[in-house]
Amino acid sequence: MANLNIDSVKDRTYQAIVIGSGMSGGWAAKELGDKGVKTLILERGRDVKHNKDYPTTNMFPWEFPHHGQITDELREANPIVSKCYAFGEDAQHFFVKDAEHPYVQEKPFDWIRGYQTGGKSLLWARQTQRWSDFDFQGPARDGFAVDWPIRYADIAPWYSHVEKFAGISGNLDGLAELPDGEFLPAFPLNAVERRFSAHVKQHYKNRHVISARCAHLSIPKQIHFDQGRAQCQRRTLCQRGCPFGGYFSANASTIPWALRSGHVTLRPFSVVESIIYDEKLGKATGVRVINANTKEAIEYYADVIFLNAAALNSNLVLLNSTSSRFPNGLGNDSGTLGKYVAFHNYSAHINAEWEGDKEWTTDGRNPAGGGYIPRFRNVYKQETDFLRGYAAGFYASRYRQTNSDGIGDDLKANLVKDDLGLWQVGSHMMGETIPKESNYVTLDKTLKDPFGIPQLKISVEYDDNDAKMKKDYVEQMTEMFTSAGFTNIKASVDSRAPGLDIHEMGGVRMGNDPKTSMLDKWHRLHACQNVYVTDGASMTSTSCQNPSLTYMAFAARAVDHAVSTKGKS
Amino acid sequence: MNRRIAIRNMALILGSVAVLPSCLNDNKGKPVVKLNHLNVDAEQESLVNELTETILPKTKTPGAKDLGINLFVFKMIDDCYDKKGQDEFMAGLKEFADAVDKKHGKPFHELTAAERTAFVNDIEKQSKDPNNKDKDSKANGFYWTVKGQTVFGYTTSKYFMTEKIVYELVPGRYNAMFPVKKKASA
Repeated sequence: MANLNIDSVKDRTYQAIVIGSGMSGGWAAKELGDKGVKTLILERGRDVKHNKDYPTTNMFPWEFPHHGQITDELREANPIVSKCYAFGEDAQHFFVKDAEHPYVQEKPFDWIRGYQTGGKSLLWARQTQRWSDFDFQGPARDGFAVDWPIRYADIAPWYSHVEKFAGISGNLDGLAELPDGEFLPAFPLNAVERRFSAHVKQHYKNRHVISARCAHLSIPKQIHFDQGRAQCQRRTLCQRGCPFGGYFSANASTIPWALRSGHVTLRPFSVVESIIYDEKLGKATGVRVINANTKEAIEYYADVIFLNAAALNSNLVLLNSTSSRFPNGLGNDSGTLGKYVAFHNYSAHINAEWEGDKEWTTDGRNPAGGGYIPRFRNVYKQETDFLRGYAAGFYASRYRQTNSDGIGDDLKANLVKDDLGLWQVGSHMMGETIPKESNYVTLDKTLKDPFGIPQLKISVEYDDNDAKMKKDYVEQMTEMFTSAGFTNIKASVDSRAPGLDIHEMGGVRMGNDPKTSMLDKWHRLHACQNVYVTDGASMTSTSCQNPSLTYMAFAARAVDHAVSTKGKS
Repeated sequence: MNRRIAIRNMALILGSVAVLPSCLNDNKGKPVVKLNHLNVDAEQESLVNELTETILPKTKTPGAKDLGINLFVFKMIDDCYDKKGQDEFMAGLKEFADAVDKKHGKPFHELTAAERTAFVNDIEKQSKDPNNKDKDSKANGFYWTVKGQTVFGYTTSKYFMTEKIVYELVPGRYNAMFPVKKKASA
């Protein structure tokens, strides 16, 4: 703990402060360190060091007290986070427990968070796709939200920049709607995924099933070895943290890289209460931090501030950064702060069987998960009764046909049967949702969190467009499965609340017009230009790609701008 | 074996993170596994122990008790089931014990192995008969809970995952196109 008596303002002054050490904050810190900028990273949670702090990473299933299952006590105490698919006995320690950071659900919203070095980058699903101009032009073409102030050409070089370093596996598929990148070799499709890919290509115009592009080192390059990472070993135990650094996480990649630059300091247990705005100078001068352990307040100062606290927490920090110049939150001249929050709709799935290809199976495990179907609805023109569209996962697998019939030796024999069953195929939707003023976050007027900071009140819900899109996904995928000859097709829709997708975005949106948006084309607050927001909060619309890669590229591009202009535009 | 030592050994098998249940004397002066939520007496404990061993007996290969699966079943129901599931388990356990008593006039653990096997096989048979009105009884529900956890514990045990199937922590490979023939001969 810092001793305040000798802790001078000078010691607490840096050239840059990065709030958050996750997916985008890690990138901001890495780029700042590379450029020789004296930087402080503030992480609200504990420090999780690569490898050293992955306690379960090398455990066998039988080494877990409940062989991977969550206890009832943990589930009862955590009705929100225990809904998350990755909240198992092996990774629950990387998730924020419900009581640690309470919030108000004006409408049901499962807010899944990771408060530690690396944030949710330890836990993500590692799917990485570029946006295209079909995505950036979406709001302008279809008349919702506001126009993005950037286009694909602005971000393309930065996608390349982050892809090379992070390590993205994929094929050069040559699709206009899903631009190719700087790829390591793809994880190939299996027999049935290939069959479906060929079928779709032959029978559907502009529909494609490609190898899922993912942040795994299929075959690493020197730049990855330089980070101390090694080839992905196809464990698919990623949520525990990877001892090989086989997938991209801030813990394995950007954060240690940034710290090795000698210019970057990481300060864990630092909950940012607000950004300090100096009315005379007309800019932000630092941040006010609550020590998560002692609850003491301390201030840090810098010329430029990167806000990468994760989408909704970045909203929270700005909403809580009030001054007489900005009574409604820092940079909030437009009144849009906290509004136009959107997410991805994952609430429909489909499963089926395939009776062919019995001579084939797979061996080992596929960290990419299988295939990816880029958005094919409303790409070139509006063609449905809903706006935008969805991407979909597609995967096929075969399992041993074991059963639990009988007792004694019969049972023992039934549990080790080697016969393979039919191929099981499945898909899930990833739908774009439309940002609306009525989907918003704000601060609760009375309730505080354990750090004395107002609780975030979340008011986000699905709309008719989502319902129509979900119906279309089920219809289209059922039809594609049927025409491919799959049998026993079963669509299932669930009624999950928004949030469980863990793709919440917006609230601090980019735009050309300061009257209707928060951030300019460089991710600076229009009204406070030394504050950059480059995480999910900055998203003007959501499209349907997995968003992390875009946040990484945004962060790297914004740092380049900040350093090259030194705060002058 | 001393029960406390048995439990400690089980904890070592399952991973040292396990919280060790303590042994206390129940009202009858009999040693009983003290679990956090379930209130099981010595006779009920013996019933579950013998039931897991009946489902998964020691043959040429290890049985439930050899592998500590009887203790794993208690641990899972005590730690991972909600109050409702635990109440159903206890009610079913009682009904199961009553059914054994009705048929044999003595508790399950005092039956011969052949009698226990026959009793359990009856339940297995009932489940396949759609007209049997007993198949949804609390006693049968209890049986399937114990069997489910026994199978789960067994198929995720070190023994099973190293000697019966090979669980690979680090496969190091993904072969997307792999001939079934090659797999069978592997």
